[in-house]
Amino acid sequence: MTGVRLHPFTLLAIAGALPALAWILPAPAGAAATLAVALVLTLTPGGRPGSAGTRLSPGWRPGLAGLRTAVLTAAPFWLFLLLLHDVPTTLSIGLRITTMVASFVWLVAALEPARLVEAMVAAGWSASIAYLLAATLSAVPVLKARAQRIVEAQRCRGLSSRGGIAARLRALRALALPLVLSALHEVDERALALETRGLVPGIHRTPLAPPPDPVVERAARWVLLLACLFALIRRLM
Amino acid sequence: MSIRLLALVPVAAAVSLALSAVVDAVALPLFLDTTGTILATALAGPAVGIATGIVTSAVNTLRNPTFWPFVVVQIIVALYAWVAARAGLFRSFRTAVPAGLGLGVIASVTSTPISYVVFGCTTTGGIALTTALGKALGLPPLGACFFGSFVSDFGDKAVTFALVTSVLHALPRRAAARFPWALRAIGAA
Repeated sequence: MTGVRLHPFTLLAIAGALPALAWILPAPAGAAATLAVALVLTLTPGGRPGSAGTRLSPGWRPGLAGLRTAVLTAAPFWLFLLLLHDVPTTLSIGLRITTMVASFVWLVAALEPARLVEAMVAAGWSASIAYLLAATLSAVPVLKARAQRIVEAQRCRGLSSRGGIAARLRALRALALPLVLSALHEVDERALALETRGLVPGIHRTPLAPPPDPVVERAARWVLLLACLFALIRRLM
Repeated sequence: MSIRLLALVPVAAAVSLALSAVVDAVALPLFLDTTGTILATALAGPAVGIATGIVTSAVNTLRNPTFWPFVVVQIIVALYAWVAARAGLFRSFRTAVPAGLGLGVIASVTSTPISYVVFGCTTTGGIALTTALGKALGLPPLGACFFGSFVSDFGDKAVTFALVTSVLHALPRRAAARFPWALRAIGAA
């Protein structure tokens, strides 16, 4: 996949099909096969954290950073599975969960939210739906930073987050309330900005730079869908 | 959906996700990841609440893929919050906290089959450990899984309902009146 940028819908189809197949195909062989594919994907250039705007972990060779993220995310599940289940069950569920984790680690690294929004608009999706996803993705880091500032400000004013449960709950209220209220006060500003830009519900916009969607990729997405359906029907029969 | 309600959805979803920073600061075993869904429903009704729940799950999934199967729980939380808002249960802590406890039971019942089938009850460290405790107490596998989900959801949803009640009452009346359900939810209309 070096130098090739897959269409956002293709990335989503692959990341959705791998976990689906991991659960549909008989374990552990089926899940092991899907996991192998997912882990190889995390080693591709598009699967490196940082390739779609996320930060690269320091101290790791770029090619292994995606794999490392997937392994570290999945590791606790294996530990807890061993605590609760026997080895065959641990293997079956663990392989499936790791496939899901690795697929999404690859997806997050390879998928650019801006390209996804352009692709959705180009495919005729309502601009409102594209806005919901893009606006939430951009609002989360802003509100998290604000939450951190509120925590520091309240601590400067003498708020203690130590002590018993009642004291901690009081501290929680003192920290959460300003955050939520300030966020709600932004709603009017955002609504005004949307109205000014003509984003009224139900309208369709013209994408400025729609990602190319070659016939091969569109066919590949259908093949993935049909493969999942075929595997499901075969499993049920 | 009006533009104001459309603008509310990403704000409410982001609130759900940003509250993790506040929870970390007070070191309480809470998620508060349905706060935005409940708040959006109490302010603007079930459609906005469900949209907030789905967007919250979708964005959370990009951080941790294990959240996506639980999108069903977000939808049920929105529907329950709508019933609570219609009944004016956000009018005080005395009505909101029991309603939150009720939601804790419903959320555990809903999330247990997903947690059991998809994750083998290992969704989070806390749930896995309480499930192990349930097994040690002699509960069957599904019962132990419910016990794990129940312990983590029960208190979390009660605190979430109390927090949303605080927000609704702290909101100036003029600001609250701009949302279709806010005044009814606090029993002021």
